[in-house]
Amino acid sequence: MESLAIGLPVLERPSPVTASDPDRELAERFRDGDRAAFDLLVRRHQKGMWRLVRRYVKRDADAADVTQLAFVRAFRGLTAFRGTATVRSWLYRIAINCALSWLRDHRREQPTEIAEDALTDANPAPAQLSAGDDRAVLKRAIAQLPPKQKLVLELRVFDDLSFREVAELADCSENTAKVNFHYAVKRLRDILGADHEP
Amino acid sequence: MSRDTRDGASERGSELLAAYVDGVAELSTDERRRIEARLALDPEARADAAELRALLDQLRALPPEGSAPDWAAMERSIHHAVGREVPRPWWRSWRWLAPTATLATAMLVLLVMWGRPATLGLPPGGERIVGHDLGHDRRDEPAAFAQPGDEVVPLWLDGDEVDVTLSANDLLGDPAPGDPASGDPAPGDPASGDPAPGDPASGDPAPGDPASGDQLGLLPSGDLAWVDRLDDAALARAERWLAGETANPGAPPRRKG
Repeated sequence: MESLAIGLPVLERPSPVTASDPDRELAERFRDGDRAAFDLLVRRHQKGMWRLVRRYVKRDADAADVTQLAFVRAFRGLTAFRGTATVRSWLYRIAINCALSWLRDHRREQPTEIAEDALTDANPAPAQLSAGDDRAVLKRAIAQLPPKQKLVLELRVFDDLSFREVAELADCSENTAKVNFHYAVKRLRDILGADHEP
Repeated sequence: MSRDTRDGASERGSELLAAYVDGVAELSTDERRRIEARLALDPEARADAAELRALLDQLRALPPEGSAPDWAAMERSIHHAVGREVPRPWWRSWRWLAPTATLATAMLVLLVMWGRPATLGLPPGGERIVGHDLGHDRRDEPAAFAQPGDEVVPLWLDGDEVDVTLSANDLLGDPAPGDPASGDPAPGDPASGDPAPGDPASGDPAPGDPASGDQLGLLPSGDLAWVDRLDDAALARAERWLAGETANPGAPPRRKG
């Protein structure tokens, strides 16, 4: 944590920005025929991909199936990976595409989150909020964000991607991703503030 | 917080504030200086940044959705699902197409050349010779090889003798015996006085007979007009030579047989 002269704590967390993609070497080894390199990529990214997919697909088992499908597609396409993006963002793009495709095919089978929302008062007073309620309110607030801001916020906060990777996945410039992130957090704060106002 | 009163210019100046708070290292030097200058001068911006920081901490504290699966089982499942062989991109597969196609074409050309009589061109003015039928037994296709009436000439290279037996009819039968254009009666024609080829009386095998010259793989010639231009003395000499009676140093290489 870095502290500026003005006393504002600024996060100096390990930067997700990597000048050299740590997965690039594994991708090159795989292209050279090293099958084990792909297993290492799976071990490294299966949790992140599953978490990402799970935000789209509401059943754990379905999310596992979609994650596996995404890795199968990645396996078939990794030799053609051009390296313009990081391997991680490339994998996550495949995962998002697989999840969206799965949602299209199983639209009517998806469980709704009414039950979860039904447990939460629409405008609970701050004093009434328990930890569980806090989580539900936050999730509901995130769900109210415009799609692009929601995507940028989730990729940044929950998937811990760099702004460059967020930009690759959101199909925008890195600067646009930063600005979208700023407005997403601000809007979220506004939604939460409105909820908490008596 | 006076967010409603914030003017547009101020908003544009702070639109990287969340990115600055969340990961200062990802901002360019210019962006970082701009935000820090604003924070240094504007207490409201500092309060804003602190709120954003707190909210981001809250978001990151959210537990992930769902119950995590058995990662080892998922890893094994993916390992089995993708298979063993590393797929190769199409351009790596096609990289071998050019040499393979070249080799296949070369082999095809060779097969075609060796599988049918090749026509060898001679220099202008030279005699046209129908080439050897190599590696392919054409006994059942006499029309494709030595047609009745075709001349068969010995093939020699650089004076090396050809180890073949050749009858006089094979050499002197141009144009084809029996051809009206030749003016000669056909062998076997009573007018000729010669027995027909294959006739036991002729001593010559019939075309297609295993003993005939065309079974020896000799080359039918397109034109042996030079034989017609020989005078009687030369023809007699040639016949004697063919009969093995004399050696003729000026004639084509001596035949064995």
